Amino acid sequence: MTLKNIVMMGLFMLGLVIAMVPENTTKPYKLTAEDMLVEVQGAAEMVTADEVAHWLISNDPSLQLIDVRTPDEYQKYHLEGAINIPISAILKDDFRDYVDQGIMMNVLYSNGTLGSHQAWMILRQLGFENNYVMQGGLNYWFDTIMNPEKPASTSPDEEFAKYDFRKAASGVFGGGSGVALTAPTQTKADKPKIKRKKKKKAPAGGC
Amino acid sequence: MGPLIPQEIIGQDWNLFIAFIVGIGFGFILEQAGFSSSRKLAGVFYGYDTVVLKVFFGAAVTAMLGLLFFSLFGWIDLNLVYVNPTFLGSAIVGGIVMGIGFIAGGFCPGVSFSAIAIGKIDAMVFLGGIFIGIFMFAEAYPLLESFYMSGNLGALKLSDALGISGGLLAFLVIIAALAMFWIGDLAEKKFPREEY
Amino acid sequence: MKTTYMNPYLAGVLLGLVLLMAFFFSGRGLGASGAVKSTVVTMVSTIAPEHAANSPFYSKYIGEGKSPMKSWLVFEIMGVLIGGFLSGALAGRLKLKIEHFPGISANRRLIFAMIGGILFGFGSQLGRGCASGSALTGMAVLSLSGFISMATMFGTAFALAYFFRKNWI
Repeated sequence: MTLKNIVMMGLFMLGLVIAMVPENTTKPYKLTAEDMLVEVQGAAEMVTADEVAHWLISNDPSLQLIDVRTPDEYQKYHLEGAINIPISAILKDDFRDYVDQGIMMNVLYSNGTLGSHQAWMILRQLGFENNYVMQGGLNYWFDTIMNPEKPASTSPDEEFAKYDFRKAASGVFGGGSGVALTAPTQTKADKPKIKRKKKKKAPAGGC
Repeated sequence: MGPLIPQEIIGQDWNLFIAFIVGIGFGFILEQAGFSSSRKLAGVFYGYDTVVLKVFFGAAVTAMLGLLFFSLFGWIDLNLVYVNPTFLGSAIVGGIVMGIGFIAGGFCPGVSFSAIAIGKIDAMVFLGGIFIGIFMFAEAYPLLESFYMSGNLGALKLSDALGISGGLLAFLVIIAALAMFWIGDLAEKKFPREEY
Repeated sequence: MKTTYMNPYLAGVLLGLVLLMAFFFSGRGLGASGAVKSTVVTMVSTIAPEHAANSPFYSKYIGEGKSPMKSWLVFEIMGVLIGGFLSGALAGRLKLKIEHFPGISANRRLIFAMIGGILFGFGSQLGRGCASGSALTGMAVLSLSGFISMATMFGTAFALAYFFRKNWI
């Protein structure tokens, strides 16, 4: 067989194969099951409602709240400054720039933590950084921040400090009785570090 | 996996070195195939030498197949591979102008560099012409800008425009290429001549 | 003098693999006219910096932290020159000459080469890439503009081949 025939046959066969197979459109998961187990057990993705309240009050510019509930629920009530990415749309390209980035600290929330955790798991497996889950979700938010319960008089001082903060915060967010906001007491404000995203350069080329 | 440099699997610093290596391969093969001779190149339009047709389409379908298979195996992320954007008006007119340049000059820019490398003076003059042509375009750009930007379809793939899979399109292109190879060989038999 | 060239089918496959290597490493394909453009931009911005800064064309490529000569295509073209030279040296084809159809004068060949170069330079900028940058690379990534470039370029050349036949056959 001549070289020409080999080349022609080869191209034809490979062309036939590539025409038959479906295109590979799967988005590869970046993290293995073992990686995920470590992440989940570390629970480093959790941030508390108090922390979120603190960042909101101090107008932290790097905070991005993401409401993963349905648009209806979002319309009825959402946290200040939150954007709505329903979990069904979490993989859409429209939202890609929000969930895969290295500038903001995204805090996902849902009513409980189920929806927000599901969303977080998917995003994390895709290798996206800087996404967090608000512990307890909106339900907990209402119980603690909006309607804080006065601690028993025997409670330690931190409990009272926390209570004062929540009381003040609830005023800011328009719940309960308005009490002048004292300088937010040191709610554990060591913010998770924002991991710089490796820049994926937009492919360049051309003459 | 790939493409390695946009994903920073190997450092950005290597990019220009890779370009250099790729260029050596490019230039070597062009010269080996005989692209350094304008008379061989122009032969495709008169049927006496169809090396352009064979090498050009052979390379295009090989790389096309390679990309599709690499993507299939998960070796390359095609979203990170540059797809030149389509601007309908300027692409068509630009292609026509280049076509006239091709039949008049007997070279295309890439090929002229490999011809210069072996001392073809006509290629050097051709390159001088390219400089002048680009300079003229640059100076006329304010007048041409609106046309240059018209008909923007973005980084559109032909397969998406036709609504077929990339693999099927590749297969159709391969069939077309094989048919052209066959016609090319017939033409060369019909118009025999000495090798330059 | 008889010189031998590589089998065109083999050359096509090998060139395809080089192109694939460019995609796999750098995520981009081959090109040529872009390197000339970089040189033109550099020359103009050196000779007439003010003019270059005010022009909507040159100013796209110059400015803070941009150096047009440190581009992928410029290095690729340097490689092309070396690769071509190596191949020519191996095959014994290194010779300074004006190649032309015996029926026309060398001067006529050079004039047409110049005209062709000007048209190709102009067209490559208008069409966003030359034969290698737009047509070959574009087709490999299935880009619509690659197919348009290829079809219009070869189509026009075929259509006009009759009028230019005196130059070649």
